[in-house]
Amino acid sequence: MSTTTAFGALVRAETRMVVRDTAGLVVPFALPTLLLVMNAAAFGDQEVGGGRTVVDVHVLPVVVAVVVTMVGVVNMPSFLVTYRRTGILRRLAVTPVAPSLVLAAQVVVGVVQALLGIAVAYAVAVAAFGASPPSRVGALLGVLALSIAATYALGALVAAVAPTPSSAVAGGLVLFFALGTLGGMFGSTDVLPDVLARIGEVLPFGATVAALAAASGETALPVAPMVGLAVTAVVAAGAATWTFRWDR
Amino acid sequence: MTSGTGAAGPGRPSVGAMTEPAVVVDAVRVTYRDAVALDDVSLRVRPGEVLGVLGVNGAGKTTLVETIAGLRRPDAGTVRVLGLDPVAQRRAVRRVLGVQLQEARLHDALTVGELVDLHRAFHADPRPADEALAMVELTERRDVRFERLSGGQQQRLSVALALVGRPRVVVLDELTTGLDPRARRRLWATVESLTSETVLLVSHAMDEVERLCDRVVLLDAGRVVAEGSPAEVVDRVGAASLDEAFLRLTGRAPGEDEDAA
Repeated sequence: MSTTTAFGALVRAETRMVVRDTAGLVVPFALPTLLLVMNAAAFGDQEVGGGRTVVDVHVLPVVVAVVVTMVGVVNMPSFLVTYRRTGILRRLAVTPVAPSLVLAAQVVVGVVQALLGIAVAYAVAVAAFGASPPSRVGALLGVLALSIAATYALGALVAAVAPTPSSAVAGGLVLFFALGTLGGMFGSTDVLPDVLARIGEVLPFGATVAALAAASGETALPVAPMVGLAVTAVVAAGAATWTFRWDR
Repeated sequence: MTSGTGAAGPGRPSVGAMTEPAVVVDAVRVTYRDAVALDDVSLRVRPGEVLGVLGVNGAGKTTLVETIAGLRRPDAGTVRVLGLDPVAQRRAVRRVLGVQLQEARLHDALTVGELVDLHRAFHADPRPADEALAMVELTERRDVRFERLSGGQQQRLSVALALVGRPRVVVLDELTTGLDPRARRRLWATVESLTSETVLLVSHAMDEVERLCDRVVLLDAGRVVAEGSPAEVVDRVGAASLDEAFLRLTGRAPGEDEDAA
């Protein structure tokens, strides 16, 4: 056995299960598209300067943050905790593959889902609402990579501490809405108390929105949100590694 | 193979002269907080032998399996599988050990064929999928999802996955618990077809143990209370059957809980 062969087989298996769970595809695809259409229809034609619209600098970054955060802190942990609870991780632990490969395969499939969801959102925004295609693709991909690392690390932490699949979903949703509320999912963070707005700016959702808004224009990537994403990725991944249990 | 009433199959090689055990459990102690699950347990499984591990629920059978499989590190004592340490040499042990765990599910949405292919990818020289499925008579169910299989079929698939890597040592935990007589006999036939493998069979079904095992080890409250061929264990306590010997040695019937006495 090579690790590559085993990993490829695990990714194929995970992909099959995701595709067959059609209801689960609502999260990365239908929900963000719906959010995009609702917000773009309401505010899409408002210009904010430099030929850019509200869709470019706010709606699309929020939709991308929704996709990444939802898949990272809700979908992925619920799958992993189900695997642990039903004994699938335990079953795999007695095979020659390391159980951590299952985690890695989950992350790969989740990232692909998120990237496809983001691509659909961008395509709809460009085609239906005249959004500008991303001009700084490198900066955009860099922000996405850091955002995915931070949110998936938080998701792994949720999977580590949640005892049951339903508690993983509940914990993931609470985290999702907390991060979203502090990060501007429901509107401008100006209405929040200053300290909460500052915290939200460096947590993954708000940091992703701020960094993507900068990456979609010509301004430099903001330092505090980028540092916030990096710190979250490192700290949450470390905590998840420390606390994760393969068995019930 | 040691003498006894076990009918471990006519094709099984004689192992009586072999000196190096396939599995060694030596003075193993495992505790969960304040509870002692295994207390100074020692046993040897000879190459090619089918060893039955008997005990009531909570006697320590599954803990023993998990310790041999490397899922638990003993607090004291040593375990070796073909001379390898299951914890320190985890990957090497997994290449020679096939384990069917009690109550471990598989990916519900995958088909039988997809699950066999997935587990084949974990091994360097796996059995062909057709052969693995034929061993447990699941060839016709290849395209059926795991979640749609009956309990007996799920159990047979679990055994097929334990065997797909051509293991030299096979651990079967509660092989036929909860299955109907027909499904049990099918799985017994599969075990009887394992003529070159060493098998550790955990059970509390006396008919199963008497039919399949060369020797048995009886666990009670985490300790070995009897060991030998089924006939020797029966003779030692002057019982009429293995079932009666079990009752005399543990004070409980097979399948009862540890605290039922």
